[in-house]
Amino acid sequence: MIQVESESVGKDGTKIVYVPKENLLEFMKEKKEEGFDMLLMVTGVDYRDHLEVVYHLLSTSTGNRIVVKTKTEGEVDSVTSLWKGADWHERETWDLVGIKFRGHPNLKRILLAEGWVGHPLRKDYPMDKKQYVNLAEDGEDTVSFDPSEGY
Amino acid sequence: MSDSILMTTLDEAMNWGTGKSLWPFTFGLACCAIEMMSAMGSDYDWARFGSDVFRDSPRHSDLMIVSGTVTKKMAPRIRRLYDQMAFPKFVISMGACASAGGPYVRGYSVVDGVDQVVPVDVYVYGCPPRPEALIQALKQLQDRIVAGKVKH
Amino acid sequence: MARILFHLILQRGIDMEDKVIEVNFGPQHPSTHGVLRIKVKLDGEIIVDAQPVIGYLHRNAEKLSEMGSYPKATIYMDRLDYVSALNMELGYVLTVEKLMDAQVPERALWIRMMLVELNRIASHLIWLGTHGLDMGMLTPFFYCFRERERILRIFDEISGSRLLYNYFAIGGVYSDITPKSISMIKEFVDDYEKKLEEIQSIFAKSYIYVKRTKDVGKLSMEDSISYGVTGPILRASGKKWDLRKNQPYLFYDKVNFDVPTRQEGDVYARFLVRIEEMRQSVKIVRQVLDKIPDGEFYNKKFSKPMLVRLKATGESYIPTESPKGEFGVYVIGDGSTIPYRVRIRSPSFANLSSVPAMLKGYKIADLTATVSSIDPVFGEVDR
Repeated sequence: MIQVESESVGKDGTKIVYVPKENLLEFMKEKKEEGFDMLLMVTGVDYRDHLEVVYHLLSTSTGNRIVVKTKTEGEVDSVTSLWKGADWHERETWDLVGIKFRGHPNLKRILLAEGWVGHPLRKDYPMDKKQYVNLAEDGEDTVSFDPSEGY
Repeated sequence: MSDSILMTTLDEAMNWGTGKSLWPFTFGLACCAIEMMSAMGSDYDWARFGSDVFRDSPRHSDLMIVSGTVTKKMAPRIRRLYDQMAFPKFVISMGACASAGGPYVRGYSVVDGVDQVVPVDVYVYGCPPRPEALIQALKQLQDRIVAGKVKH
Repeated sequence: MARILFHLILQRGIDMEDKVIEVNFGPQHPSTHGVLRIKVKLDGEIIVDAQPVIGYLHRNAEKLSEMGSYPKATIYMDRLDYVSALNMELGYVLTVEKLMDAQVPERALWIRMMLVELNRIASHLIWLGTHGLDMGMLTPFFYCFRERERILRIFDEISGSRLLYNYFAIGGVYSDITPKSISMIKEFVDDYEKKLEEIQSIFAKSYIYVKRTKDVGKLSMEDSISYGVTGPILRASGKKWDLRKNQPYLFYDKVNFDVPTRQEGDVYARFLVRIEEMRQSVKIVRQVLDKIPDGEFYNKKFSKPMLVRLKATGESYIPTESPKGEFGVYVIGDGSTIPYRVRIRSPSFANLSSVPAMLKGYKIADLTATVSSIDPVFGEVDR
């Protein structure tokens, strides 16, 4: 049994547990064996001095839900070996919040163009510095800060 | 040659023919595409204005209706599709997002209006515009083409 | 010598036949589902791999919601799944009301339930019309859109807009339903089932349609749960899971309805599940029409003027059953008038990620039928 750092209850009545990031994969394996067979989503939150990753789990046999959180500076283990749906959610978290997932088979950007600089959902992302996208001859996107080179 | 007096009746006939049989190219990107489909349906019947054939390939059509938000990732592809259409070609920009950015104008990945990508003939405002507004835009475009004010 | 040459030529012929071709099913294509790009790897006619590429409609709904106040974010929620906008507003409004500890009057909750079910019928009608268009049938498109116009006129009468409403407020609904709209709803539910029979028979009596959709695009139950797939696709794969019955919200435990399930998991099963869901929604609307109590429709405490805005603390996530699957908004509030983090759990994102598993081993001609049976809406996938 992995020990959790702290437990609390959210405003909707679901249990929230904080887990240290070294024990995250073990804890998720235990939860999957207990019956939590669906991973609903993976969220990344920027709290200015640290980042957090939030997992929402659901058990379709009993209807229980649990929220698992972990604090990190930028890297976490990936859970794609346990739930196949984690693949796209982790790619999106890397794209928008900038958290790396160790062991992910294909960690590339999914919503923004390849070559985009920065992670927009961070609180210190400069919204006034715009980037411009264009299409090269081979079918790949090119991104630059120069307005004459794209849209 | 087309400004000489010998060609005026032929010009008028060609403009009338082009204007009254515009074949649209379905370019539905977002929510406005659903209102465009409703305009094609039987209640608002777009087909009685001469545009009952919706072609799926840009090479066969002459009117492009950009309906929905234009994002930076999609903008170069819109330009490529516009370049594949043959002259004479026209563009209607439908909805607030395609005309000026819409509710998403402060976003980091949204282009403020499709007129930064292709030249636009008629703008339709609304979020989303009613099918009657889209039909009014089509009528305005037809009147301008038949009167010879659009040079393409 | 001739034998050596002959073997060399045969060898080269075999090597060249082993190549896998990559085809681009680009962001603009006739199947009218929006901007989806699929990179398909083909070995002759058999699909070896199919990877969707998304992000062509990324409109930063989450970042913009974190830059405004709580009521302002409702307009971004409307535009996520634009064919069933009221379901999206419901998911957001339920969460924020939990954060603010808002009391909502009973009449507003019953009105919300009735309109959400009508919106479910409208969303499935769009799916049916465009699915017919993808399979090459033009008639169902016009029939379905004719029925949908009647629902849109009801919404126009109640909220003032046809497609994107901004009608559910934090604390109730913005305006009451009028007697004229109630009579329009009664007229609609009275003869909708006959029209549905007519539309269903166009599909079911067509031998070509049935042959093209049976045993195509199968997804097993274990794969569905592992990918996070919910909604009609999960119910067509054999699992009886519907949030309206298993974890009821609003007043779904006070009305009678069934949850249709099939075992096969192919495209035809999904078609049957959605048609049956429309019938059950009509049943729910009929029961709610008799049960709406009189009273207040808006908790006036939450209709503060612009200068005094609403504050919220804590975090919550209330899941609801939208026509595509499980939808919810996870909101973290830090005590100020602006939400700290808004994360949207969109069902079409998870459903679309199961496309590689659904398409492997099938022929290229089955691609349109399978992708259209998932019913993706790109405002939701890309947000």
